Amino acid sequence: MIIGFELNGVQVAIETTLSMRLLDVVRNNFDLTGTKEGCSEGECGACIVFLDGKVVNSCMVPMSNVVGRSVVTIEGFSEMERYKKIETAFRNAGAVQCGFCIPGMIMAVEGILRLNKPLTDEVIKEGLSGNICRCTGYQSIYEAVRRLGEEVWNDVQ
Amino acid sequence: MFNSIRPNSLEELLEIIDNGDYYIFAGGTDLFIRKRQWQGAERKFDKDVVFISHLEELRGIFEDRNYYRLKTCVTQDEVANSTLLPDYLRVPYGLMGNPAIRNTATVGGNIVNAAKVADSLPLFYALDASIVLKNIQVDRVMSIKDFIFGRYKTDRYENEIIYEVIIPKEDFSGFRYKKIGSRKSSILSKLSVFIVYKKAHGKIVDIRVSVGAVNDVPIRSEEGEKEFVKDNDIDKFLLTIREMMEGEDDRRSTKLYREEISLRIIKKFLVEIMEE
Ligand SMILES: Cc1cc2nc3c(=O)[nH]c(=O)nc-3n(C[C@H](O)[C@H](O)[C@H](O)COP(=O)(O)OP(=O)(O)OC[C@H]3O[C@@H](n4cnc5c(N)ncnc54)[C@H](O)[C@@H]3O)c2cc1C
Ligand code: FES
Ligand code: FES
Repeated sequence: MIIGFELNGVQVAIETTLSMRLLDVVRNNFDLTGTKEGCSEGECGACIVFLDGKVVNSCMVPMSNVVGRSVVTIEGFSEMERYKKIETAFRNAGAVQCGFCIPGMIMAVEGILRLNKPLTDEVIKEGLSGNICRCTGYQSIYEAVRRLGEEVWNDVQ
Repeated sequence: MFNSIRPNSLEELLEIIDNGDYYIFAGGTDLFIRKRQWQGAERKFDKDVVFISHLEELRGIFEDRNYYRLKTCVTQDEVANSTLLPDYLRVPYGLMGNPAIRNTATVGGNIVNAAKVADSLPLFYALDASIVLKNIQVDRVMSIKDFIFGRYKTDRYENEIIYEVIIPKEDFSGFRYKKIGSRKSSILSKLSVFIVYKKAHGKIVDIRVSVGAVNDVPIRSEEGEKEFVKDNDIDKFLLTIREMMEGEDDRRSTKLYREEISLRIIKKFLVEIMEE
């Protein structure tokens, strides 16, 4: 069947099925391969996209739940100002090694920033609790988000 | 082959499930994993699937004079961030899964799945919550405690959906919640302890204690709670709970560990509450 939705700001319609995973649609139908498949079961966060502005694991979302809604992938988010800040923070903290987890990690960080809460260690850890990184041991990632918090806060002031 | 259906209304959904055996697919965070077969990208199901998450009639959090009402497709995140609901509901929901899971997993899905580790069940047992089940003809209201038969077993007929959860409003003085898990993310709990209580003039006048993920279904002793309000005897209360424990060793942890830890947590909480 034809399913229509908004993808990275553009209205799209594709021939697919209701039970197809959103992950496969963005990767296979639209060649947006920044969204990764890690665990396929909601544990690792490599496949995170925004659905109506909220983080979801695209490996767990059937196309039925995407009909008429807005999807933003890492490719769409990377056009935005805030992406550059997060990317720079990650680079400066040395938080990127093999890079596999990073697109999902960046999306999850944006998810945390959208909460508009002070970025305490607890908020950062909880916000990244659905993202697995097999290289960094997380400390440099937490550090990147901490510094980013200070910077975003300074911007607001 | 299986068919996937996306009804346009609640009525259409009820008609569909009245005429066949379907998987009811809400957030899919249990179903996508349990029923999957690894055959390429598209998830294959061994029977037809009907999607329900998009139905407006199944969404929203409401209150009236005596009850909170959570429609079945309310997400865990919506509960955790609700401005209407009390902290004793919001806090435990904010500790389920992980942020991305909470944005898709639904209230009703956690109940119908009836996993031993389902984190909402101890809350609903302690709060005396009920559900409304709907089929094309009638509604049934039953307590969640009666609805859950055992691990993955419920009193749902194939032509029924959970429509909403009804939680009595009470002016509790406070609550305690502790969940202990093992995995880094998504902490499927090894055990959880939930307590709500009322105090008046420094004395406990109502207390509810439930323990999740130790037995197949949550543990709660209403008799024991009544006794405890009368005699404030912590050791006697712990003995009552211990006698109800029937956990077996499983991959997540041993029987003894879980029983001992949950009793220790209850004890700590009860002491705190009494001293408060
Ligand atoms: C990574 C990860 C972490 C998790 N962490 C936790 C956790 O910390 N605590 C926890 O308790 N659970 C956890 N879960 C399990 C799961 O997220 C929850 O049980 C969730 O609430 C299920 O809701 P759903 O809408 O996704 O269910 P679905 O998968 O859509 O459905 C689950 C079951 O309920 C049935 N169903 C759903 N809605 C209805 C309805 N209205 N009427 C009749 N039947 C219905 C379905 O047919 C199915 O049998 C986790 C899962 C994952 C993947
Ligand atoms: S691939 Fe989706 S969470 Fe791991
Ligand atoms: S940098 Fe390699 S998995 Fe995170």
